[in-house]
Amino acid sequence: MSDTVATTSPSVAARPSAVTARDLARAGATRRRRGSTIKLILGAVCTVLVVVPVLLAQVLPIPDPAGQDLSRRRLPPLAEGHLFGTDALGRDLLSLVLHGGQVSIAIGVLAVTVSGLIGVALGSAAGFFGGWVDAVVSRLLEAQMSLPLLMMLLLVVALFGPSLPVITLVIAFAQWPEVARLTRSMVLVEREKPYVAAARVLGLHRIEILLRHVIPNIVKQASLVVLLLLAQAVLLESALSYLGAGPERPFATWGRIISDGQDYITTSWWLVTLPGLVIVLLVVGVNLLGDGLRDRTRRRKAKKA
Amino acid sequence: MARYLVKRLGQSLLTVFLTVSTVFVLVRLAPGDPAKAYAGPFATTEQLAQVRRQFGLDRPLLEQYWVFLKGLVHGDLGTSFTFQSSALRVVLDRLPYTITLAVAAIVVTTVVAVPLGVWMAKRADTRREFGANVATIAGQSMPEFWTGIMLLTIFAVLIPVLPASGFATWGGLVLPTVTIAVLQIALISRLVRREMATNFAAPYLTVARSRGVGERRLTWRYAMGNASVPVVTALGTRFAALLNGVVVVEVVFAWPGVGSLVVRALETRDYPLIVATVLVTSALAVLVQLLVDLCYPLLDPRVRLGKAAS
Repeated sequence: MSDTVATTSPSVAARPSAVTARDLARAGATRRRRGSTIKLILGAVCTVLVVVPVLLAQVLPIPDPAGQDLSRRRLPPLAEGHLFGTDALGRDLLSLVLHGGQVSIAIGVLAVTVSGLIGVALGSAAGFFGGWVDAVVSRLLEAQMSLPLLMMLLLVVALFGPSLPVITLVIAFAQWPEVARLTRSMVLVEREKPYVAAARVLGLHRIEILLRHVIPNIVKQASLVVLLLLAQAVLLESALSYLGAGPERPFATWGRIISDGQDYITTSWWLVTLPGLVIVLLVVGVNLLGDGLRDRTRRRKAKKA
Repeated sequence: MARYLVKRLGQSLLTVFLTVSTVFVLVRLAPGDPAKAYAGPFATTEQLAQVRRQFGLDRPLLEQYWVFLKGLVHGDLGTSFTFQSSALRVVLDRLPYTITLAVAAIVVTTVVAVPLGVWMAKRADTRREFGANVATIAGQSMPEFWTGIMLLTIFAVLIPVLPASGFATWGGLVLPTVTIAVLQIALISRLVRREMATNFAAPYLTVARSRGVGERRLTWRYAMGNASVPVVTALGTRFAALLNGVVVVEVVFAWPGVGSLVVRALETRDYPLIVATVLVTSALAVLVQLLVDLCYPLLDPRVRLGKAAS
């Protein structure tokens, strides 16, 4: 929409109109567009600021995350080449955060992938086939709502051990209803469109119609929610790990680093503050990206209508 | 109405029953031995066997389940391994603390989030609203345990004005409530904004405005009236979720509620206590959701329970 503003402004100036370029720059639509652009840029900057160092953790010139040095315990940030300071065992905090981040982000991405697949499969089946399939899936969604979720997740992790697959599956289990609900409602709309009837007239099987025609039409919209889910997954993982139900190997994740640092909160503020800020930066970034993108598609839909 | 109520109550009971049964089976399927946790690391084989016999853990799963069901009907969920008293009693003793915290948090959330959301909807696309919008995104991006520890550091350590943990005075309620409310306000105010913005753009509001209805009445009576159902639903769901587990915040502030209890029960594999906690909290959560559903006809006269709702 900023393109249209840019191209129409000269012609606006050319023809006699009370609407000035300044009015256009102040218009609600322009502001919204600007708002979503700012969100996208801000979100991308925050995300990249966290993700790139985390991915490069092995390459960056930082100390080994396992390297303990009891003579250099709890050094404040910026002391002796430790950008984030050191923890109670003399390990470099930045290095711990970056290596732990690899695990956190990997769990988040995997969990969202799994929950996305389950959610799209069940949600689209429920929306497209209706009948008993819909009844079963809808009941499952309702049951999920009334479950004491965090308690159940803690329970499963406490019982089956805090390994990567268990934590990933647990987070995916917590998140699939959101995707399923969204997919189901979109498929319900899509199902009634003429192209589905046309495909049926052409003799395509129902499953074929769903897989080849309906799902490709909704997948773009459904994938927007993935960013928001990723943000939630990172938060959920950090909460589990804070409560002691996080992965221990290969590296302790962010929640655990914070819960370890909590004991020294009166003397060493950085042990909690800095890892927390890294989480906030990443999650804010991903949320802003998701929100900005959603603002845009919503606008495009409104324009079409 | 009566039929609807009976049907919903039946559904709720079924949900709670299935949840509890799942937990009952889950805890016993998993690796790990509660007898070892109970008797300590130096217990002999005979002592372990003795403990198992005492709690009926040596019997087959189906028989244990049958004993559990019989107890459930009588309101007896067994004896907590760690507390050596009725598991249900232990949970019920802790429950008022969790309810206090949940109620305080939801009240603060409602009082702040609803006006904030309305303001954001009215001032949509202004610079200040954009700032508030980004602030709510930040609010929902902060892990609760981190917010909690930060507030603790600032208001209990650096400027010691509030107690750091526990619930000795009413001041102890402030920090946990604020910690929970930050996240809930962010979530609810965004919902209110969305709902109100939809209603502000609706033709009926333009018609009402052209008839000369005042701006305040338009906002709170017309638009809010229509937005109230989704908003109350969301508040109810959040409240139920809080009853289910303010686990993280309770642990941070050493709050003597159900959340911190469950973490301890899981560590010691206290089966009866785990099951009792899940039973009580999920029953409460289901009850809250039922009450919210019963509110719909009050909020929206078009709703007839039992017809469209089911």
